Order: sequence, then structure tokens, then C-alpha cells
Amino acid sequence: MSKSKLFPFMPTALKNLFSKPATTAYPFEPATYPERMRGHVEIEIEKCISCGLCARSCPPTALTVDRAAGTWTINRFDCVQCGSCVNVCPKKCLHIVPGYATPGPQKKSETFTRPTPPSKADGKVGLQTGGHPVNDHDKCVYCTLCARKCPQGAITVDRAAKTWTLDKEACVSCGLCASSCPKKCLTMKED
Amino acid sequence: MAERSVIPFGPQHPVLPEPVHLDLVCEDETVVEAVPSIGFVHRGLEKLVEQKDFKQYVYIAERVCGICSFGHGMGYCQAVEHVMNIEVPPRANYLRTIWMEMSRVHSHLLWLGLLADALGFESLFMQSWRLREKILDQFDEMTGGRVIFSVNCIGGVLKDLSDEQLKTLLKVIDEIEAELKPILRTFLQDYTVASRLRGLGVLSPDDAIAQGAVGPMLRASGVSYDARMTGYAAYGDLEMEPIISKDGDSYARCEVRLKELLQSFDLIRQAVAKIPAGPIAVPVKGNPNGEYFNRIEQPRGEAFYYVKGNGTKFLDRFRLRTPTTSNIPPMVSMLKGCQLADVPLLILTIDPCISCTER
Repeated sequence: MSKSKLFPFMPTALKNLFSKPATTAYPFEPATYPERMRGHVEIEIEKCISCGLCARSCPPTALTVDRAAGTWTINRFDCVQCGSCVNVCPKKCLHIVPGYATPGPQKKSETFTRPTPPSKADGKVGLQTGGHPVNDHDKCVYCTLCARKCPQGAITVDRAAKTWTLDKEACVSCGLCASSCPKKCLTMKED
Repeated sequence: MAERSVIPFGPQHPVLPEPVHLDLVCEDETVVEAVPSIGFVHRGLEKLVEQKDFKQYVYIAERVCGICSFGHGMGYCQAVEHVMNIEVPPRANYLRTIWMEMSRVHSHLLWLGLLADALGFESLFMQSWRLREKILDQFDEMTGGRVIFSVNCIGGVLKDLSDEQLKTLLKVIDEIEAELKPILRTFLQDYTVASRLRGLGVLSPDDAIAQGAVGPMLRASGVSYDARMTGYAAYGDLEMEPIISKDGDSYARCEVRLKELLQSFDLIRQAVAKIPAGPIAVPVKGNPNGEYFNRIEQPRGEAFYYVKGNGTKFLDRFRLRTPTTSNIPPMVSMLKGCQLADVPLLILTIDPCISCTER
């Protein structure tokens, strides 16, 4: 080991004495956030299908999804910005964006309500949600599209054996399978 | 014989970043016995594994600690992946290795700052933490978080790094390495630092092994052991030798950590040069059924992760043995016979992380 010296830090100390501070003068200078920063969660409520996967995957249970009322509620003071909801959202309508949530004196929730589905407004068939998918085996061509669309991997299709099985426990009734079925042989039905 | 008196040390003490309590039995200024007690920041995170499913728990595992967060997430994921026989894509393993080494750099720089602060060397403390900021900024750019990254998932990682980001990382590493030189010189050569650290808290290799020391504590006593040599993640593809020092005193522990910083820079460079293209995660189907013991080298030493699955989405048990838990017995034996004024410094040289220890 090399010998001890006196004042080896002196050049650094002198340099720092005459250089600019390493810190920025926030709030006079605005803070800049990187693109990937996990600041707060935002929702595109018009795309939401109320499947509830986000609420199930949320570790601090900061999210509540009410399928009947079509609402999505977030308690921003419970949210830990882990991004779990964003990762599981099958419709990719949740985003985690830079910038911190606003502080406040009280713990409040923020509620977003889905706009009226088009099925009610103009008679078009919207996304069926609720219940579990029921397969009409006469029409089914075992194309496996439903199994690939299922965000929970709850559907297993065997093309060779011509079987279609559903894991009801894993199913979150999102209706993505029914909407993706090219033969329209899947229908969402309550048990 | 001088009269014995008991001095309570902690849980609130200026030198302690986290709460640990010691009853110091002193004869005049000499400590003759130290009785540690922990339990001030217990949060019951291991028990939570029964209520949160095994994929959700990744986010909780990394919140065990604010400094070794990435390692905890990775250690837990690796254990579950072994139980489920999931092969992680090579690119994900390299990304994990890069982030793990960056975590080591930021943890060691934090410790160096705390050491300088304990010595009363304020400007050295500021300089160490200024360098650490650069790594934290890189983490913010790459993962979206400064200390909690949330990039691990069962089956791989959630975020990829572009070639541009890897190039920037190398540039930042070069900058840090250049700026680290005067800091390194000060820690290793400064007369005051050396006189404060040399010969303080000597731990012989036999004692270190017998008392279960891990990580830099063990390597500073001359024992060449590093869990990274087992070759988990991408470490098997990278060239490295455990950094050791012979003296076993506080100075040796400081030296090992300083040299490990340089080793981490080297490992990051090797990993960036060798990183393969490809997917970053594989889909996970089913639930874990079985048990596995995984060990990784955290910045503070070897950590154990035990998981036991029962075929449902909730695990039966998750157990985490952190490096600080193993380093407390050697710390207590080091404290015997030391001067009261050296106690804060000796506690600091094990790089205690009480939040990890208590979970």
C-alpha cells in the first residue's frame, strides 16, 4: 500500500471552491424529468373495458374498478408508482407518465367514469363484459385467437384434440376473447 | 477494576442512518461488551407473501430496502424462476447484471460518503454523494426510478435498453471513474483517514468465517469468497476475481469497497460489450410448486432467498436472510475492547442495513 500523504484532497477542495454548485436552483429553475420516469398513472378512460386486472394486480390496492358503474378510481396517496397496472392492462389504456402527483392536505381518490358504451347509444354491438365466456362447440374452428388474446392465459385450446377449456378462477370477465372470436361462437354469460 | 457502566447507543443516533440499538457495557472509555437489539423497523414483509400473489410480490420484495432494492427483486425472481423451471432470456440476464453492478456502485458510494461523514470529513462525503447522483440519474433515465426500479419480473425484465442508452452509460461510467480518482486517493492515502481507520476492529480470517461474516467484511479479512463467482445471471460469462485485502481492519474494508467500485465499472463494460440481442422476458404460465434456495451477492454481502410454493398463486413462504444479519455477530465481537469513540465508525464499517435485516 502506498504511503500516507498530507492534504491529498486539497486540489479537489480548491476546484470545488471556484466551480458552479452541483445542485440546481429548484424551484427557480424547473425540474426536468426523464422520459421513462414513473411519476403518476393516467388512464384513457374511453378505451377502458373495466376488466379489473389493474386493480387485482395493484400491490398497495390503490385502484378500484366498478364494472356496473363503469368507473375507475385511483387513490393517488396509496399508489407507489410501481407500474404493475400498466404492465397488465390488456387494452393498454393505462400509462405511467413523468411528473409527480399533486400533494394535498387530505387523502383523496380520483374517479374516472367510462363514456356510455356505443351499444346503448346507436345499437352497435360493443364489447361484452361480465360473466364467463361460453363456447358454442358447433361453430368453433379452434383457431386459438381467444387463447392468445386472454390477458390471464385462462383459455387453453388444443387444435389437434379439438378441445376448448376455460380456467374460471383465472378468468377476469374482460370479454376480449369474445370480441376477438372470428366465428362469433363465444358469448359472455353469467353463471 | 474500573466500575462498569451501560451506555445505550441508538436507535436514534447521529451516525446511524437506520435504527439499531446497542447496550454498550463500558469500563471507563473501553467497551467490554455490546448487546445489540433490533426490531425497530419490522414491517412484516415476509408474511405479506401469503396475501399478494407471486407476481405482485416482486414489487414488494424490492421495497425491502431502499439501497439494495434491485438485488432483492432479482434474488426473489431468480428463486421463483428456478421453482417454475423458467429459462430467462440471455439479454435479460445481462440487463440484470448491469443494473446489479450499478446498484453496487451506488451503494458503495453511499457507504463511502457515510464513512467520510463519520470521520468528520464533510467535503469528501459531499463528493462521494455527488458522484452517486450520476448513477441515480442513469437509473432514472433507464428504469424510471432513482432507487426503486420496478424492472424485474418473473421470467425476465420489463424494460430494455437501447444501444444509445448503453453508450451513454459507458460515458457516465468513464466520467465517474475519472472523478473517483481523487476520492480514491484521499481514502487510501490521506494521513488523517489512515490514522482513524488502520488497526481498528481487526477481524482475523478464522474469526470472520466462524462468526459468519459475508461480503466486503469477509473479503477484507483475506477470505476469497464472492457469491458472484457461482455464475448466476450473466456473471458466468464475465471475467472477475474476488477483491480481497489482508489486514482485516476498517481500512481494509474501505479499501475492498473502493476496489469493488472499479471492479463494478469493469463488469459493466464487459457486460455492455457482450450483451446479446433478443427478447427480454418469457411468458409465465402456471403457479410455482416447490421450493428453492437462491443466493446472490448484494453490495453488502451474500443474501439468501428462500421460496416455497404450493401450486397456487400465493407462496407458502418467502424467507430472506440479508448480509447485515450475518455481519452483526462479527460486529459485536469487534466492538469488544474498542474505545467508545470508535463505536460509530465500527458499526459503519459493516455497512449496516437495518431495514433489510428486519424486513
